[in-house]
Amino acid sequence: MKRLITLTINGKEYEVAVPPNLTLLDLLRYELGLTGTKKGCDVGDCGACTVIMDGKPVNSCLVLAVQADGRDILTIEGVETEEGLHPIQQAFVEKGAVQCGFCTPGMILSAKSLLERNPRPTEEEIRTALSGNLCRCTGYQKIVEAVKDASEKLS
Amino acid sequence: MLLPKFDYHEPLSVDEACQIMSDLGEKAKPLAGGTDLIVNMKKKILSPEHLVALSRIEDLRKIELLNGSVRIGACVTAAELAESQEIKRGLGALGQGAGILGSPLIRNLATVAGNLVSARPAADLPPPLMAYGAEVVLKSRRGERTLPLETFFQGPGQTLLEIDEILTEIIIQRPPESAGAGYIKLGTRKALEISLVNVAAYVALDSSGTTIEAARVVLGAVAPTPLRSPSAEKLLIGEKVDPSLFEKAGQAAAKDSRPIDDFRGSAQYRRDMVAVLTRRALNMALEQARRA
Ligand SMILES: Cc1cc2nc3c(=O)[nH]c(=O)nc-3n(C[C@H](O)[C@H](O)[C@H](O)COP(=O)(O)OP(=O)(O)OC[C@H]3O[C@@H](n4cnc5c(N)ncnc54)[C@H](O)[C@@H]3O)c2cc1C
Ligand code: FES
Ligand code: FES
Repeated sequence: MKRLITLTINGKEYEVAVPPNLTLLDLLRYELGLTGTKKGCDVGDCGACTVIMDGKPVNSCLVLAVQADGRDILTIEGVETEEGLHPIQQAFVEKGAVQCGFCTPGMILSAKSLLERNPRPTEEEIRTALSGNLCRCTGYQKIVEAVKDASEKLS
Repeated sequence: MLLPKFDYHEPLSVDEACQIMSDLGEKAKPLAGGTDLIVNMKKKILSPEHLVALSRIEDLRKIELLNGSVRIGACVTAAELAESQEIKRGLGALGQGAGILGSPLIRNLATVAGNLVSARPAADLPPPLMAYGAEVVLKSRRGERTLPLETFFQGPGQTLLEIDEILTEIIIQRPPESAGAGYIKLGTRKALEISLVNVAAYVALDSSGTTIEAARVVLGAVAPTPLRSPSAEKLLIGEKVDPSLFEKAGQAAAKDSRPIDDFRGSAQYRRDMVAVLTRRALNMALEQARRA
């Protein structure tokens, strides 16, 4: 039986009827067309599906859509503003931290959550904060540099 | 991967959850962070007809200090444990285990009760919790019981939890000032890693600060359940602290371990590492005990 849930995604309120066995990831991608959130492994290993739920980054492939009822979700689509790319996004572009781009939404959301809690992280802290997000292309170095760069510009 | 179909229940209190579990019996499973259960359902290892989500029960989300004990609600997440001041003060080894479980994303979902009920031999929270002598509280319509955590585990994925029961909280007696504990996880990576071996050690010193009054050594991933090492503990208790003592305790712990060969490491390697990690975890515990 479908359930009616209400949740806020990127500042906008949605009311949707969802079956219990739909994940938040599949709701975002296939029901709402928010395909910035990627599906890699679907079992919590890769972090491509990272979204920020009530202020905390989580694997949306492991959260049921019904569990997100009443919650506040930020996906990569909500990071850019009218003024342009978010400084973290800008830094990723400038530092060459994006190659195929599959890991990028998750990386940026994990980085954003880190910089909100800890505006001037050490390299070790950056690497730990991104350790649930796998990248098959960049070798991580440029991603770490981009986050460092963004932290300097933001603080 | 599609999830099998199920009915979803979202009780707002423990009593309501117990009522649902009692009505549905073995057709139902509690759902906490979902980091084990949802994965197993996607892989079609499990397909319960009903899920009873515990995440909206506020009572299960608290860490409380009560008459010298720390009560950790079932749904407290690994991230919350790792950041909690109450845990850092006095229960540091538990914070260490919670702080390296999975990844930051997993830690924001994974709960302490889920980690215990899943009963994986290599799990990160049972060894530090057992080292502190934790107890678990199990509740059902039939009543409530409190068990020492070390008796709770029966084998991989097997515990004493009955089908209608919910694990509601974990109780730890606050260790004395003269005690300390350490936890070490050995893997081949720093994150998203299942332990090859893990060890938690607890020591309490006497008033002179030189003799070991109490000790617990707990070994993970080297037996079907997390294992206390009686030989190491016997060797430590009543003895004066010196470096060769911890060396010997490590050797004793290695003898008590019952590791297996698998693709992640050989039994011999694991046994050798038990000795090394036990010595190091004891040193961490001692350092903390002396700081007080
Ligand atoms: C990518 C990844 C990495 C991981 N890395 C680690 C790691 O490094 N170390 C580690 O120890 N674990 C790890 N895990 C396993 C998992 O995250 C933990 O075991 C976690 O603590 C499980 O908690 P949960 O809240 O997600 O449980 P769930 O998946 O919700 O539940 C697990 C089981 O416990 C039962 N249950 C949950 N809560 C209760 C309750 N209160 N009362 C009764 N039964 C209950 C459920 O019915 C289910 O059978 C990892 C998992 C993933 C997906
Ligand atoms: S798709 Fe969710 S962690 Fe890989
Ligand atoms: S840029 Fe391709 S996976 Fe990271």
